[in-house]
Amino acid sequence: MVTQKIDIKKPLEILSRGDDSKLETNMNACVKCGLCAESCMYYLAFKEAQYVPGAKAELVSSIYRRYNTLAGKVAPALFNAKELNQEMAEKMVDMLFGACTMCGRCVKHCSIGVDIPYIVRKGREMLAAMNMVPATLQSTVDAALNTGNNMAIPQEEFIDTIKWMEEELIDEMEDVNARIPLDETDKSVFYTLNPREPKFFPLSISAIAKVFYAAKESWTISSKYYDVTNYGFFNGNNDQAAQIAGYLHDEIHKLRGKKLVLGECGHGSRATRWEGPGYLKKKFDFETITVVEVIASYIREGKITLDKSLNSSKVTIHDPCNLVRNGGLYSEIRFVVKSSVSDLQEMNPYGEDNFCCGGGGGALAMSEYNERRIKIGAIKAQQIAKSGAKVVITPCHNCVDQLQQLNHTYKLGVKIMTIAEIVADALVINKQ
Amino acid sequence: MEWYQIMAVISAFLCITLLTAKLVNLIKLGLPKELSQPNGSVKEGIIYSFTGAMSPKAKESAYMHLPTYLGGIVYHIGTFVSLLLFPFILLLADKIERVPDMFLYITAAALTISSMAGAGIMVKRIVTDNLRYFSSADDYISNILTTAIQVVTALMLIDAVDPVLYYTTAALLFVWMPFGKTKHLLYFFFARVNLGYFYGRRGTWPPIKKN
Repeated sequence: MVTQKIDIKKPLEILSRGDDSKLETNMNACVKCGLCAESCMYYLAFKEAQYVPGAKAELVSSIYRRYNTLAGKVAPALFNAKELNQEMAEKMVDMLFGACTMCGRCVKHCSIGVDIPYIVRKGREMLAAMNMVPATLQSTVDAALNTGNNMAIPQEEFIDTIKWMEEELIDEMEDVNARIPLDETDKSVFYTLNPREPKFFPLSISAIAKVFYAAKESWTISSKYYDVTNYGFFNGNNDQAAQIAGYLHDEIHKLRGKKLVLGECGHGSRATRWEGPGYLKKKFDFETITVVEVIASYIREGKITLDKSLNSSKVTIHDPCNLVRNGGLYSEIRFVVKSSVSDLQEMNPYGEDNFCCGGGGGALAMSEYNERRIKIGAIKAQQIAKSGAKVVITPCHNCVDQLQQLNHTYKLGVKIMTIAEIVADALVINKQ
Repeated sequence: MEWYQIMAVISAFLCITLLTAKLVNLIKLGLPKELSQPNGSVKEGIIYSFTGAMSPKAKESAYMHLPTYLGGIVYHIGTFVSLLLFPFILLLADKIERVPDMFLYITAAALTISSMAGAGIMVKRIVTDNLRYFSSADDYISNILTTAIQVVTALMLIDAVDPVLYYTTAALLFVWMPFGKTKHLLYFFFARVNLGYFYGRRGTWPPIKKN
């Protein structure tokens, strides 16, 4: 490989910022015990040392040492302090974009508690500063920046889909007041979607609409800025992440919505709820909550009635990493699912210990890593098969996509459903 | 004081000064400035980070690697005992005769065991492809020095080593510590705090008991 001269000023600045203790801590805490290896599905799938999470983190921390520590500057060979050059940057692209979904499973099981996805994200920020984000991932971000949604769905097409779903809802409910309100102001709920829903899974929109109808919710969707995803979280470009987060922030203000309800998307929920205020450098002056929590509140408050017997197949739950391990929704998801189905069989492991489906971290958008993505997904496929379930429920459309592919590749013969879909199927509605 | 004792004391002073400077800097930097709406208790998350989350049952790095985990625990205890004994050996060397032989021999034996654990970890690093792949000279040097201090402390307690060797080993360890990976003794605590803050704020920690 030819080592070229690259502009390293901007990426190195990312490693020099002393905003808080997290950067310095995580760059210095790893003892390279390697015990994180078996917690990473990439390592489990490929059994190669380069996939050990600590080794991936070392790519970034070795550069940190070279430019930010006395030891690394004086005796780089002793401390594995590495220069940032073209060869190193290319290795980082392959390992930090192509071999880590930032699921955080390694963190929980790390003997020290090193936040490896945080380090990986820092590495991605550095690569973004060098314009080295994989083109496939960047094009997804660009679509969101330019059109307001990551699949570049034209507004007219989206409106048509929503109108079509609304007609279906009216027919099913036999009620002309059953609506999917678009661009309405002063509603309690400003709802968001993963663009995969209008594009590929419109029935999931009618499912949540049915739930809102049953709960008599006051809600709306924006016809322009409805996209809950934020691939700026994955590409490492915080300015672009802020611009995308700003779309929802500004739109809820424009429509004077009270509560931002995040549709079924793991990373989108995380990027909006937990990272969004940081990207925009301001606290949100509206409540931000996931649809799982909203549905759970409907059940607790008796706003909807569910009949578990309507979902009698054996189901299992796939926990999206960004909603459960990194989002604290373990019990809320269980509460909703247990209220909706009569036969739940957990995978092993599950909850905080779950394995990523393999589609996280932007992997679904990066077709150059498709082979790896499907191979690491074998772990999830085995979990599903062992559970004996006929239905896999997951409140994340990216996970749905990956699970659909695993279902096909590994011939699992299961049905993949979202939370809204399983709840809608269990709804007891007294038609007027 | 002999020259080698002065050398060790200066090294210890340097080590403490540099680690204190790092500590002060980390405290000054503080926790991340989160602007999102919390959904859990930071305090409870941090407490859990140092308690339940450290349980061997909670970590694959422990329950899937029990020999290494237990070896690591023993090794770390030996390291702390050796470091704590340093000022006593330095300042009370002439009074060591008053300590019962039994106590000295038991402590020396325990340190011998802990140093063997350290050596075992070193051997594992050498023979395991995964570890060699991303290990640097620092990983080996830090391990050697930390194991060596336990060996010479054990020998010092039973008067079986030249004090020059003991104090020189201590001096080398103290000089290396703020620069090498042994400094994780400081960063470990901040890593746990940051983790507890992250998971606590989001309501992941403390976890709800699974059925």
